[in-house]
Amino acid sequence: MLAAAWLSLTANVLRSLLTMLGIFIGVASIIAIVAIGQGGTTAVVNVIESHAAQQTIEILPKELVEPGLPQPGQVLSFTEDDLQLVRQFDGVADVSYSVNGQGDVGYRGKTINANIEGGPSDLNELANFTVVQGHMYTSADWLAHRRLAVLSTSLAHKLFGNQSPVGQVIQVGGQPLQVVGVAVSNQFNFMSMFLGADTIYLPATTCTDLFPWWNISEMDVTIQPGTDKAALSKRLVTALNLHAHQADAFIDSSGFLLGLEKTIGTITTILTAVIGAVAGIALVVGGVGVMNMMLVSVSERTEEIGLRMSLGATQSDILLQFLCESVMITGCGGLLGIAFGVVASILVHALTPLPSVVSWQAAVIGFLFSMAMGVVCGLYPAYKASKLHPIDALRYE
Amino acid sequence: MIVLRHVWKTYTVGGEPLHVLRDVTLDVAAGEFVAIMGPSGSGKSTLMHILGCLDVPTRGTYHLDNQPVHEWHGRALAHVRNRDIGFVFQHFHLLPRMTALRNVELPMIYAGRPRAERRRQARQLLAQVGMEERAHHYPNQLSGGQRQRVAIARALANGPRLLLADEPTGALDSATGRGILELFRQLNQQGMTIVMITHDPSVAAAAHRIVHLVDGRVADPERVD
Ligand SMILES: Nc1ncnc2c1ncn2[C@@H]1O[C@H](COP(=O)(O)OP(=O)(O)O)[C@@H](O)[C@H]1O
Ligand SMILES: [Mg+2]
Repeated sequence: MLAAAWLSLTANVLRSLLTMLGIFIGVASIIAIVAIGQGGTTAVVNVIESHAAQQTIEILPKELVEPGLPQPGQVLSFTEDDLQLVRQFDGVADVSYSVNGQGDVGYRGKTINANIEGGPSDLNELANFTVVQGHMYTSADWLAHRRLAVLSTSLAHKLFGNQSPVGQVIQVGGQPLQVVGVAVSNQFNFMSMFLGADTIYLPATTCTDLFPWWNISEMDVTIQPGTDKAALSKRLVTALNLHAHQADAFIDSSGFLLGLEKTIGTITTILTAVIGAVAGIALVVGGVGVMNMMLVSVSERTEEIGLRMSLGATQSDILLQFLCESVMITGCGGLLGIAFGVVASILVHALTPLPSVVSWQAAVIGFLFSMAMGVVCGLYPAYKASKLHPIDALRYE
Repeated sequence: MIVLRHVWKTYTVGGEPLHVLRDVTLDVAAGEFVAIMGPSGSGKSTLMHILGCLDVPTRGTYHLDNQPVHEWHGRALAHVRNRDIGFVFQHFHLLPRMTALRNVELPMIYAGRPRAERRRQARQLLAQVGMEERAHHYPNQLSGGQRQRVAIARALANGPRLLLADEPTGALDSATGRGILELFRQLNQQGMTIVMITHDPSVAAAAHRIVHLVDGRVADPERVD
């Protein structure tokens, strides 16, 4: 039966392939949707989990998180008072702060505009760096306001080429800083998509010395083990807001994370909707194509059907034969679609920051779905074939 | 074997009834070789379709081996066609994408016989019709006479007791036709009941008996031999 169906489909290979196209595109899209959807979810979960595990609370001025670029003058800044206030809370082990900005970084006449990140004393542990050369700055460097910096790999390459930057002196904000290391952050960071990867990291204390007019844009509160992180965060934010005489001046950056989560969610939803529409249209068009091809095939093969009936084929034999052909064609289309979908997901994963995860469940469902399409679209033509009257069929002489 | 009583076949064409067969009564005994002759359009093929259970009479009765097949439908008729009747057509009707061997196997597939047995039987039948050398040829690699031999082997596949042939030599030159006719005669001598439609009196002469059909009626019965 299957061999006979294969024989019929290979009688006109081009037609069979063209008929498969719709199913192929449809199933490939389904595979891609599921992969991207699952990838998006995984990314969100990763971001949230990595933050939940940290023993720090990050507090930001709310404007930084709101959509649109903040006006520099309007962004609230933390003051030394704020830091003092937070230090007095139970459960707070340590408080440090971050300063961010952009500025020119120069070396021997070359100048590059880079992100300048003045970080907390324990930045190393927080941001999960891979140190390529030299080392990160230490808490001692932070306490002593030492004039040193760590370059991101891309910035190091731009300034120094293949030469080692460690020990060299660069100019930042017109002041000399010694390079102590080259590092790359392993954290999945959406901002780097917009700001670029050229960054120098230096102790926040040093940074405020160089750029005293910059806002203290982030407060990092290290909590004592066993403290209820969420409750403490709430109390801190309330106290800071009160101090600033503003209802919601500051927020916990997990609110910012919620924003991130939303962004990823939106991207995923849009992609899913677009590809879903493609899948839907392709499957409908493909299904109609399969049905059309089967109808043509039935009318072309009237003589064969009549002959088979004269040799003893029952109506159900004929019905089954044509259903088999239809299912085989959509099944092949489905298999090709799955193969293509998997390749496409792997490419998406490799070429974009969106992680996409191919699941074997999606592949199985896609395959079963394409077979079901074959049954649905083949049923009417096969029924028509089985209802042919053998002598009308044989009269084609 | 065949007992046909007062069979009518009536089509409705443009609102008018068209009687293609009128009150046909016909008996064919087991082992007989009967030729049916008649002008074009006289209803020969229609009669053969009824005999072959491909079509049912509008009126009248048909008993095949004492079974009232005129009362039967669908699956039961398919079973009769598969096991009890072998068809040979004017235009062979071999499936072009299958080898001679596979074509001969086809009725045995519908009979649900196992593959190895099918293969063996098909080879044997091809040998019987003198086509064992051509078992793996496709129909378009065979001459008309060779194709008809393969078609005859296929008709014999499930060991039917009745062979129905609609102008089996009609598409062949006369020398080739004689070969096919000789094959029918041999089969008949081995006990096969044969009903054959033909235009050609010299072909009909091979039969025991000729039934003339004119305008859907059986004309004066005539005995040969
Ligand atoms: N389905 C049908 N509807 C109307 N007329 C038909 C149909 N089938 C056959 N006929 C008519 O029946 C007559 C006998 O046809 P047929 O049995 O094929 O004749 P023969 O085989 O003797 O040439 C023809 O006139 C044909 O037009
Ligand atoms: Mg005819």
